[in-house]
Amino acid sequence: MAELFVQQLVNWVTLGCIYALLAIGFSLIFGVLNVIHFSHGDVAMTSPFIALAAAQALAIAIGVSGPVWLTVATCIAVFAVGLIGVILDKVVIRRFRDAPAMMALVATVALGIVIRELIRHLYPQGSNPHAFPRLASGVALEIAGVQVGWFTLLVVSLTLVLVVLLFAFLRLTPLGLRIRAASEDRIVARMMGIRDTRVFRATFFVASAIGAIAGLLFASYAGVTRFDFGVMAGLLGFSAAVIGGLGSMPGAILGGLIIAGIEVLAQTFVPDGASYRLVFVFLLVIGVLLFRPEGLLGRPVMVKV
Amino acid sequence: MLELREVDTAYGPVPMLRGLSIKVQPGELVCLLGPNGAGKTTTFMTVCGVVRALRGKVDVMGRDMASLGTENLAALGVGLVPEGRRLFPSLTVQENLRLGYDAVSGRGPDFQPQLDKMCDLFPRIRERLRQAAGTLSGGEQAMVALARALIGEPKLVIMDEPSLGLSPKLIDEYFEITSEVHRRGTTILLIEQNAEMGLGIADRGYVLVKGRVAQEGPARELLSSKAAKSLYL
Ligand SMILES: Nc1ncnc2c1ncn2[C@@H]1O[C@H](COP(=O)(O)OP(=O)(O)OP(=O)(O)O)[C@@H](O)[C@H]1O
Ligand SMILES: [Mg+2]
Repeated sequence: MAELFVQQLVNWVTLGCIYALLAIGFSLIFGVLNVIHFSHGDVAMTSPFIALAAAQALAIAIGVSGPVWLTVATCIAVFAVGLIGVILDKVVIRRFRDAPAMMALVATVALGIVIRELIRHLYPQGSNPHAFPRLASGVALEIAGVQVGWFTLLVVSLTLVLVVLLFAFLRLTPLGLRIRAASEDRIVARMMGIRDTRVFRATFFVASAIGAIAGLLFASYAGVTRFDFGVMAGLLGFSAAVIGGLGSMPGAILGGLIIAGIEVLAQTFVPDGASYRLVFVFLLVIGVLLFRPEGLLGRPVMVKV
Repeated sequence: MLELREVDTAYGPVPMLRGLSIKVQPGELVCLLGPNGAGKTTTFMTVCGVVRALRGKVDVMGRDMASLGTENLAALGVGLVPEGRRLFPSLTVQENLRLGYDAVSGRGPDFQPQLDKMCDLFPRIRERLRQAAGTLSGGEQAMVALARALIGEPKLVIMDEPSLGLSPKLIDEYFEITSEVHRRGTTILLIEQNAEMGLGIADRGYVLVKGRVAQEGPARELLSSKAAKSLYL
């Protein structure tokens, strides 16, 4: 029993961290642009493909491979996805920031489809699942007879580091201050000389790059990646952000942990729970929207005039 | 320093400002008066480039607002106090002031001395620097809003009803400070409903009614003119 408990705890923390990283992107973008970027999950899940392609390109071009070069490839992917986010914002999303929410919703959902189909058609055999390596393997330690892998430690420590860095960036840097100001009052921010193009660019780069890391961990956890993983990543990340309170960073982390918790509980205690897990997750989302629409840690929903 | 020539604006199909002409010369303190809904805030927003003029010309610091974005004003030396103060509520008072300072000074090196100056000017602010601006009282927020506009030492300050909702004592203090800033050489456009206080410290005034200038002239004349009073008091 203790073994099962610890095992599920490990699963919970691993998944919770990945969802939290996804949710942070949704929350950050919503906080700044007031737009729900429904294709954020798809953007994030381009990263494993880019990493695989980069690893292959490295192998072909300079004949290198192995863990170090895989790391290089993943860094390339994270940076590239950050840029993809910036470009998508510039070309599409920014234009909907003052539009009715419905338009932004349709546009970003459509954008997600475009991204998925592009992966499918541009990546060699893009319709098939592609094996994705564990970014860290082997057993790091044993707790109550349960082996905790380096991968889990990697996920947890990476998440902690990213959260601390993001927090420091938003709290301590001039650009972070401007992002927070623009997310509170865009018009007055402009009166204070803040260029929203810069704010948006930085926000999208950071959100997409963090999403890319989540995407790499997601694929690495699953062992495979597929062109349509972005749908699930998007739904789970978005739900986590909603439960925690859109726009709230601590909320995003809490939401990620809650969603992962429900998933793990369902898998453990409900017969055939693995196939029902999403039912529970989304029932919770509905419940939160009904009883606490602003999310657990969000600010009360205000009607924008 | 600031000139609107024959400016028209509209909200959708509803016309608001109609052929509005206003001028503020360097060193002047000009007071813009008018009843509720006269278009004072619309004028403020038009000067800032938030609302675009449909016709006519808006010049601020010698630049045409038709081609200048709101975000470029501060660097030209324009400090703004929008209606309702509009501090960034979850940012601390100091962060609000930092943004105001960086905006006008172009991230100059003298934030700390300027911050001290502002704290001397508004002693109430000093112990609130680390507090979220949204948690301040209305009067304190008004002080921070003015300090945020002044801290970078702008050449031109535009304020939209900064004294609204202040206690009589605080209003006196507020006008005293505004007048002092003007005496030190800052050009000011003050949008006000309180005609006596506003015109009391102003050089000239305009009375805005239904989007048009109904009357203008030296502050003293406006203050004593019956016509001006009857227009909005
Ligand atoms: N964003 C907007 N959309 C539509 N109409 C607007 C908008 N802003 C202001 N108005 C209308 O324009 C008119 C003038 O508004 P404005 O805010 O300029 O008045 P004001 O002189 O500042 O009044 P107050 O003294 O009450 O602040 C009002 O009738 C108002 O309803
Ligand atoms: Mg007004």
